[in-house]
Amino acid sequence: MKAQRVLAVARRALTGLRHDRRTIAFLLLIPLFMITLFGYTFGGELQDVKICIVDLDEGADNQTLSVIVVAYLTNSKTVKVTDQPSSLDDGIQRVRDGDVWATVYIPVDFSERALAGAEQLTTGQPLTTIGTVTVYLDNSNPNIASAVSKEVYAAVQAVAGIELGLYSPIALASEEVYGEDAEFIDFFAPGVMGLAAMMVTFMLSIITFVHERSTHTLDRVLTTPVTEGEVVAGYAMAFGVVALIQSTVILVAAVLLFDIQIAGNPLLVLLVIFLLGVGNQGLGFLLSSLARSEFQAVQFMPIVLFPSILLAGVFWPLEAVPELLRPISYFIPLTYAVEGCRSVMIRGWGIGDIWLSVVVLVVFAIVMLGLSALGLKRRR
Amino acid sequence: MSAKARKVAVAAVTRSGQFTVETDGLRKEYDGLVAVDSLDLRIGKGLVYGMIGPNGSGKTTAIKMLVGLLRPTSGGARVLGESIPVKANTARIGYMPQEMAVYDDISVQENLGFFAGLYSMDPESARRREEELLRMTDLADRADSLVGQLSGGMRHRVSLACALMHDPELVFLDEPTVGVDPELRAGFWGYFSRLKEAGKTIVLTTHYMDEAVRCDVVGMMRQGVLIAEGEPAALMERTGTTGLEDAFLAFAREGRA
Repeated sequence: MKAQRVLAVARRALTGLRHDRRTIAFLLLIPLFMITLFGYTFGGELQDVKICIVDLDEGADNQTLSVIVVAYLTNSKTVKVTDQPSSLDDGIQRVRDGDVWATVYIPVDFSERALAGAEQLTTGQPLTTIGTVTVYLDNSNPNIASAVSKEVYAAVQAVAGIELGLYSPIALASEEVYGEDAEFIDFFAPGVMGLAAMMVTFMLSIITFVHERSTHTLDRVLTTPVTEGEVVAGYAMAFGVVALIQSTVILVAAVLLFDIQIAGNPLLVLLVIFLLGVGNQGLGFLLSSLARSEFQAVQFMPIVLFPSILLAGVFWPLEAVPELLRPISYFIPLTYAVEGCRSVMIRGWGIGDIWLSVVVLVVFAIVMLGLSALGLKRRR
Repeated sequence: MSAKARKVAVAAVTRSGQFTVETDGLRKEYDGLVAVDSLDLRIGKGLVYGMIGPNGSGKTTAIKMLVGLLRPTSGGARVLGESIPVKANTARIGYMPQEMAVYDDISVQENLGFFAGLYSMDPESARRREEELLRMTDLADRADSLVGQLSGGMRHRVSLACALMHDPELVFLDEPTVGVDPELRAGFWGYFSRLKEAGKTIVLTTHYMDEAVRCDVVGMMRQGVLIAEGEPAALMERTGTTGLEDAFLAFAREGRA
């Protein structure tokens, strides 16, 4: 392997990109677009989910407990109380019409029953009466439905705690070992970075090599002293550098726009991305030999990208991947890259802690490049 | 060079036994179709050897085997003394494919610089060589243009310059003058003569018969078979014709009979 020839190949690939302003723009803007869009879409909590309240509570003993529920929900950020219909039927109709996501129904005897229950508890009698609040939900969006239920539950708890002075004898306390103040954006920024690097190196590689095969430049180059290994190494270097530049752009953008945490060493993150880029360059090369045209090459992208997007833990943890599919996750290199980057950025882990990710990615890169070089050696 | 002088030169090379390319029953089949059939060539050192023949006659396939891009089905060849596929001698061989095969996303000069890098040329001699070849191919004022923006003929010239960049001893040129205007084509042949004077061997394919007359030795290929080989004047004499085109037709008829 001769460095001069590897560098000649790498420099040529980068020079070609440098002349192509539109592609450069794409390479830099697509990750920015991704992180911005994902950041704003997933970054925020649910806000202003429309609900209405049917409050028929007549109170008891000069107390109307429903006031607390209404006040709590009115001041909530998650939900927005649009109005208070006068009957349950009206309320349910509002949900049916799609005007609101939920109707919170507080019956006439809510205070009466709740106070009776509290009385039973404080005097040591068995608890037989409780006040009930019913939520009529549009469950067509489970995310929204569960957020509303959670909010109403909190409102009802507020009644028990503030007004009735009832506290549970059991408490749950949590301390953040890692990821203090971590938000969702901190979780998925490393994922988007890995995904962007993978997409770009794979795409550049497969398109470049299909083009080189169809224009016969690859053949021609192989009649010179350059070896198959040097060609593959040169391109790996070039596209690895592209992945690095791109990841740096994403990191800077994520820090500036979303104030994400980078607890560990950013260089370690870039190393992981570089390895991932090199491996995917090899994968792109291998698949390029199966495609006859650039058009066919593009068809390979979803085949390679979809499993990675869905199963590699980019947007949701591996634990959310069905058990049946999880073994596949462990065969996807992006899984290890995302896990590695995430551990470094949120947990502040060092190379000694993410060694498994690094080793897997090194093996992936070596195997892909080795197979690519072998594939080039095979002559008709 | 006069026909007589050429005859003397070719005879001298043949006697000396200095062959840059020797093939031995070289054969290539694709999916049952025979592209090149038992080709036996001896190409003398320092000569311009022209392979002529219609499309599909096996010229390009033969060259691709000699530069190591295709594996022969049977038979073998030695190029600059090394059995194919050539490994050690690649730096002494130049190759210009029919498809031009230059990078269209970089400039003319960057293409030349890339090949200089592949041949590990030092920057100073690479620069001098670049200037010389840009002048020869009349591309000096387009040196910074992206190859993709050039005309077909210009791209052809870039491709030729890339093949000659490292000053090879033996150069395979597959259709080097296609799409090149007559004036520049004459210039190319002048340059080929200079290469020959410097002791280089040129193996080229062409389907311009008038051009093939300028070769020292011509090999006529038809349907994968070498049907005739010799100095252009001798081939015309043997068939009693006045042009290589007629000579080719005469040999083709003979072969069929």
